[in-house]
Amino acid sequence: MKILIIIPAYNEEGNIERVVKNLIDNYPQFDYVVVNDGSHDHTTEICRKNNFNLLDQPQNLGLAGAFQTGMRYALKCGYDAAVQFDGDGQHRPEFIQAMADQISAGADIVIASRFVTEKKPKTLRMAGSNILENSIKLTTGKNVSDPTSGMRMYSKKIIKILATNINMGPEPDTLAYFIRCGADVRETQVKMDERIAGESYLNLSRSISYMLTMCVSILLVGCFRKKIEL
Amino acid sequence: MTISFRIFLTIIAFASFYFVIKNIRKSKLLISDCIFWFFFSLIVVLLAIFPGIAIFFADLMGIQSPVNLMYLILIGLLLYLTFKQTIRISELETKITNIVQDITIERKDKK
Repeated sequence: MKILIIIPAYNEEGNIERVVKNLIDNYPQFDYVVVNDGSHDHTTEICRKNNFNLLDQPQNLGLAGAFQTGMRYALKCGYDAAVQFDGDGQHRPEFIQAMADQISAGADIVIASRFVTEKKPKTLRMAGSNILENSIKLTTGKNVSDPTSGMRMYSKKIIKILATNINMGPEPDTLAYFIRCGADVRETQVKMDERIAGESYLNLSRSISYMLTMCVSILLVGCFRKKIEL
Repeated sequence: MTISFRIFLTIIAFASFYFVIKNIRKSKLLISDCIFWFFFSLIVVLLAIFPGIAIFFADLMGIQSPVNLMYLILIGLLLYLTFKQTIRISELETKITNIVQDITIERKDKK
């Protein structure tokens, strides 16, 4: 099975070298591609200097756009599965094989979840996660314990849909949409690290607008979207 | 507010909701861009169902008729949207300019 690791990177000069070198040195069985989302720090130079496999976007498209660039690349190269993987070092590649095994066993989407067997801590961020979890449960009947996990693997047929449609960002509402379409969405327990360098994209006002968009998209728009044949 | 005006408002709200959903289904609209329109529908429906809201705020602001407050609110929402769209258009123009420049410079390298 050919697996591609898609690493969207926006201003990740402090992390990208360490993250990608770890993949090259310790996980040569997986292919990877860095999608530079128009960074204005030294991310591009670092990738070029190290000869990393790089898709270099001349403009910033946001996470959804960079993610879709990676998916189009995966589709073009005929990969059997693709996994979205953060460029900040919080995701651990040791769990990719377990996710790939689930895809081989017939899953369409595998979420690397922090809370299958572990308890969710009581923080503000996790309160947001709970709201999304309940929204998905309400509209699809399925329990997704870690809907905001940024590490997800997609099968070949999902890659094609993600690469060629709009409104398919790598977010919880897309998960809910695929569940409604009848996709086999599974979770596997993982550990995640804290980001080491750089800043998180989410601040308070962005978090509120993110939650609002996600809730409207899952609870309201989700009921009316045209279902896709899987 | 007369009952016929309230019915008219409700129809407007549901029609705009219907058009937004229809265009999402046709893959013409990004969901993140529709949030404004859902709130637009919601506000209009609320004002139609509970005319007390408009009457209360009209009194508070010294506006003679609650219908006039309705116009004010709708015009305010539209001005806000227009301004947001002006910003979006400027951003898009800048991006397109940069992309064209990128492509032009890259083509020059190849020859």
